[in-house]
Amino acid sequence: MWYRSASFILDKQQEERDAVARPESRLLSPTSPISSMAETLQNPNPNPKISAYYQTRAAHHAVVTSDWLAQAQAAVGQHPDDLPPESPSVDSGKPFSVIDEFNNWRKQPDLAEAVAAIRALASVIRSSEATTMMELEIELKKASDSLKSWDTTSISLTAGCDLFMRYVTRTSALEYEDFNSAKSRLIERAEKFGEISYKARKIIAMLSQEFIFDGCTILVHGFSRVVLEVLKTAAENRKLFRVLCTEGRPDRTGLRLSNELAKLDVPVKLLIDSAVAYSMDEVDMVFVGADGVVESGGIINMMGTYQIALVAHSMNKPVYVAAESYKFARLYPLDQKDMAPALRPIDFGVPIPSKVEVETSARDYTPPQYLTLLFTDLGVLTPSVVSDELIQLYL
Amino acid sequence: MPDAHALVNDFVIKLRKRKIEGSKATAKQTAELLRSVISQQRIPHINQSGALIDAVKGVGEQLIAANPVELAVGNIVRRVLHIIREEDLSLATAAIGGLGLDAGSDDDNDVDGDEHPVLSAAAVAAAARSALRPPSLQTLLEDLPNSAAVPHASSSGGDSDGKSKSADKTSRSWKLKHNVIEAVNELIQDISTCHEQIAEQAVEHIHQNEVILTLGNSRTVIEFLCAAKEKKRSFRVFVAEGAPRYQGHVLAKELVSRGLQTTVITDSAVFAMISRVNMVIVGAHAVMANGGVIAPVGLNMVALAAKRHAVPFVVLAGIHKLCPLYPHNPEVLLNELRSPSDLLDFGEFSDCMDFGSGAGSTLLHVVNPAFDYVPPKLVNLFITDTGGHNPSYMYRLIADYYSADDLVLQRKPASRN
Repeated sequence: MWYRSASFILDKQQEERDAVARPESRLLSPTSPISSMAETLQNPNPNPKISAYYQTRAAHHAVVTSDWLAQAQAAVGQHPDDLPPESPSVDSGKPFSVIDEFNNWRKQPDLAEAVAAIRALASVIRSSEATTMMELEIELKKASDSLKSWDTTSISLTAGCDLFMRYVTRTSALEYEDFNSAKSRLIERAEKFGEISYKARKIIAMLSQEFIFDGCTILVHGFSRVVLEVLKTAAENRKLFRVLCTEGRPDRTGLRLSNELAKLDVPVKLLIDSAVAYSMDEVDMVFVGADGVVESGGIINMMGTYQIALVAHSMNKPVYVAAESYKFARLYPLDQKDMAPALRPIDFGVPIPSKVEVETSARDYTPPQYLTLLFTDLGVLTPSVVSDELIQLYL
Repeated sequence: MPDAHALVNDFVIKLRKRKIEGSKATAKQTAELLRSVISQQRIPHINQSGALIDAVKGVGEQLIAANPVELAVGNIVRRVLHIIREEDLSLATAAIGGLGLDAGSDDDNDVDGDEHPVLSAAAVAAAARSALRPPSLQTLLEDLPNSAAVPHASSSGGDSDGKSKSADKTSRSWKLKHNVIEAVNELIQDISTCHEQIAEQAVEHIHQNEVILTLGNSRTVIEFLCAAKEKKRSFRVFVAEGAPRYQGHVLAKELVSRGLQTTVITDSAVFAMISRVNMVIVGAHAVMANGGVIAPVGLNMVALAAKRHAVPFVVLAGIHKLCPLYPHNPEVLLNELRSPSDLLDFGEFSDCMDFGSGAGSTLLHVVNPAFDYVPPKLVNLFITDTGGHNPSYMYRLIADYYSADDLVLQRKPASRN
């Protein structure tokens, strides 16, 4: 007879005893594996245990105070190119830091993480003193590595860096040209990338219009800018549809989305996260965004997507994913725990006894068999196409 | 060009009256019609491919509107458009290559002189190549020219070599047309030989003493089964009769005449018989981009039965049935409701179906849909003229046969529906 070992409890108790005995050793351990890069030493990420990606998302998309909203609105109103991105690059004595640059770009709620990463890398090129392509490449590699290791939880950051590196190192667009024009070309492309990402959302919204028919009910989970764009376009096209929004605990992103939809005069109903199965029978399709699309064709998205996809699958409802193609990441998670965990604080409203553990992971992995179609700027894809695209690019 | 015009109108009327049956015949006639449209199209000096594409698109829209359910029409129109684009591209690259060579031979010793034209030629070729490809991650960051830039690039190529000789132009325009017609001929050839191509693979799939189930009648299925028979395979065939048109009877007769052991069953007996079946082989009306199948009515039930008993469900489809559209709402959009006379004799039910006399509404309604949608997860294998494919591989074939620009063609007829 096989019994489940209780070792995971015993080990944990042991660990806690050790931690009490040597508190300083525990602090050291998480930072030690990441090193070597000069930039990572002065890592500005204040709390490496909390996912910076989800913090930003929460700041941008959760229900927030009105003055913050006004501030954000002002930021959106400005054209992204008008904003002087000049971080302390040349003038100040402080050395140029790609992470600061990245954070600068990231503050705009409308700018995707990958675009911010690529713009940050572009400013690396701009401030670089390299004289050959090889030098530039090495410099870029360093910068992108430090960016990636700064926030390992952000998939689109990693994917954006990879994509740009791939473009720099192996592209036909740079052939036959001298170094300076190649460099300016890279910068130009990186600047344009923001436009691409904006256009991508438009393309996705256009592609998905045919799937939204009059009288349908759409279940939406989390706040995704692409999904919002899709629904917005559908509303503009005078489609008659209803949206069910999940609440999206703990950062309550669903509330924000329902706010936005109410502004568009779309009939919207809020559900608590646990009411998904209850209301699935009146749903015609599930629409979700994605933090990342992985090689298997599955998606990594806000916590709760997996269970919604499971419920939808068992009730034979289509699950549509809207994701820009720069979110395609070279990851192949085998199960839920097979990723760098992205943690975020959860406020239960009441004090939690210290002995009670809290699952603070911010995202889950939805395997491809539960997804029907992916709407991307490359077209409407079945999940199996994703791996094909990735292989084509990175082979 | 009254001649092509008359032909088009003729064909449109035929399509609208549903005079042409079967996607193969439709595909072939569409291709032949487009060939004559192309051959009669006058070609201007600049932007030749653009003129051809516009002409074909105009005709194609009419044809699709005439019978939106017959997806083969749209498929062939898109195939021909793709052919035009491809031929134009290969001509443009050839012309540019020739230009580069000319420059090289002109000033052999001056290396710096010919570096620039070669560079621009390479750039134009690369741009054109990436424009024909479907959008992919690979091209996301590269300088993707807009779809409008394609004819520009090619016409600029034409201009630059027109500078040297104006005679080149006429020869090139003639050549483009010639090549396109050649390629369309090949396409027609492919369509007419697709049965043989598919049937060739029969022995790989049908084994000794197997029991095959099929439903309704399909020329492709007959050829497939007979090809296996000719290769000395002995097997049995169950034929579900395929109500309400009972095409299965025709199939059974044909199979028996070719010496195959055949059993006719009713459609409702499929579940009863499926446990004895080794493989289900059926034809299709159209194959959608996600790997779903638009098939004669009743096939969804067969597919579900096959799934329940883990029997392989194999769909035979010529490549002209491959449609680059997604079935958003297959039950509504892509189906056709046929005459109730297939189901009921008018004499018997004339009282209940008399719309004229009563209060306007009758109690008896007859719904006679022509097609079923079989979702991709119920299909195990597609056998096309290029071999066997998984349902999830269909998008790849589509990327090979159609260019992404032409998918826009779908939007107009779809919204018109």
